[in-house]
Amino acid sequence: MPQLDFGNPLLLAQVVWLGIIFLVLYLLLSRWALPQVGAVLAHRAETIAADLDVARRAKEEADAAVAELTRATREAHAGAQAEIAAAVAAAKAKTDAESADLNAKLDAQIAAAEERIAVARTSALGALEQVAVETAREVVGRLIGSSLDPALVPQAVAGVLAARAK
Amino acid sequence: MAAGEPSIDALGQFKLHTTLGPIGASVNFTQSNLLMVIASGLILALLYYGARPRAIVPGRLQAAAELSYDFIYNMVSEQIGHEGRKFFPFVFTLFFFILFGNLLGLLPFSFTYTSHIAVTAALAILVIVLVTVVALAIHGLHFFSYFWPSGAPIALAPIIVPVEIISYLSRPVSLSIRLFANMVAGHVMFEVFATFMVMMAGAGVIGYAGAIGPLALNVILMGFELLVAGLQAYVFAVLTCIYLHDAVHLH
Amino acid sequence: MSDDGPRGQVGKDSFEARLKSAREKQGLDPKASDPDKRLSAPSAMGVGMRVGVELVSAMVVAVAIGWALDRWLHTSPAFLVVFVLLGFGAGLANLWRVMGPGRMPGAK
Repeated sequence: MPQLDFGNPLLLAQVVWLGIIFLVLYLLLSRWALPQVGAVLAHRAETIAADLDVARRAKEEADAAVAELTRATREAHAGAQAEIAAAVAAAKAKTDAESADLNAKLDAQIAAAEERIAVARTSALGALEQVAVETAREVVGRLIGSSLDPALVPQAVAGVLAARAK
Repeated sequence: MAAGEPSIDALGQFKLHTTLGPIGASVNFTQSNLLMVIASGLILALLYYGARPRAIVPGRLQAAAELSYDFIYNMVSEQIGHEGRKFFPFVFTLFFFILFGNLLGLLPFSFTYTSHIAVTAALAILVIVLVTVVALAIHGLHFFSYFWPSGAPIALAPIIVPVEIISYLSRPVSLSIRLFANMVAGHVMFEVFATFMVMMAGAGVIGYAGAIGPLALNVILMGFELLVAGLQAYVFAVLTCIYLHDAVHLH
Repeated sequence: MSDDGPRGQVGKDSFEARLKSAREKQGLDPKASDPDKRLSAPSAMGVGMRVGVELVSAMVVAVAIGWALDRWLHTSPAFLVVFVLLGFGAGLANLWRVMGPGRMPGAK
């Protein structure tokens, strides 16, 4: 086996060169090449972390905005509802007042009309009494041919009318 | 090796010779060392060209460089803990030096420096010296309590202490033998099957048909050896990490 | 408003899930632990290789120490015999340490 031929000076030389090459490779890697790759990786990790942070923050903001929107919508909804209720109530109150007014006016008109009717009726009744008295006096005068005691006819008519009104 | 000779010379491939002409010969620079330089150059090129675009979304080469960085970084942090970050460049160098050595060795006309016990032993001794120095630096003389499992009866000391010392010293041996044996076994098998193939082919038309067997075996073996190349580099690096963990945490 | 509620809900959930998984992947949020990261069980050949390597390497060290002590103290082969036994014990101890309960790193 050539590997175990320790008499060969090349075997030792190989190991010496190995030491030199390995040392140089180690120094170049540790001082120069690996830090470069490490820097690229660190830069990438930073960028990605920053991007993800931005994404997370944007998402949090979006969530907050959505919550805000929901809240605002709910508030607007509640406000609108209250306004509608108030408007309805106001309209109802106004209507009630108007109808009450109208009722009162109508009542007053009815009362006035009734009064007028009553007046007209009493006056009509008074006129009727008079007409009745005159008619009765005329009829009686024609029938009897002589004038009667002028106080007697109204008395009789009043008596009849009173009896009729009962 | 030589097609003309019908003999199996499975070990000739491991023979060292100087390279780079008279300059290499004057400083005993072997083809093994040339492969080491090539491997180192490839590792550095991978990281250099991989890190250069500095893109947020990496291209293929950058992804490979970053993947290798992350792979070793995670291995180190998982096995050693956060104190292990100091050893990250060392484990990285070790892993990729061995991995590229194993992989380059699979190329034709190449040489596998990890198939030399002197190389693997040098790497393993480097690891164990580092581990011991780290343990001594962190724990001082308390390090020697490592050879005395707590709670063992004192009467067993003459047995337990030598056993623990042997066990500790056997770490570099097992590290180097495992890598060496795996690489040698694979390459010897390549050579043996390839020689069978040449011998078969030398036997005429029937031989050509028969040569398909060893050829197929070599193709399968190549896939297997690719796996072994990665696995052995990984095992070497992971065991280094485990030993460093023991040195940092001591029990 | 009432009819885009459920649709908006789904969109929010999927965005939230994606953001969370992205953050976990970056290690920014604590992750639900994944216990399946250990290596799968090593193959029989890997175990055999490992047993062999551990026993042989312990024996190599033990024989080297025994041989050196014998040479130094001229007690051949007393230390060699003792250390071969100790080496076997150390090999078993190694195996126990790397393959025993609790620890099972890389295969092979």
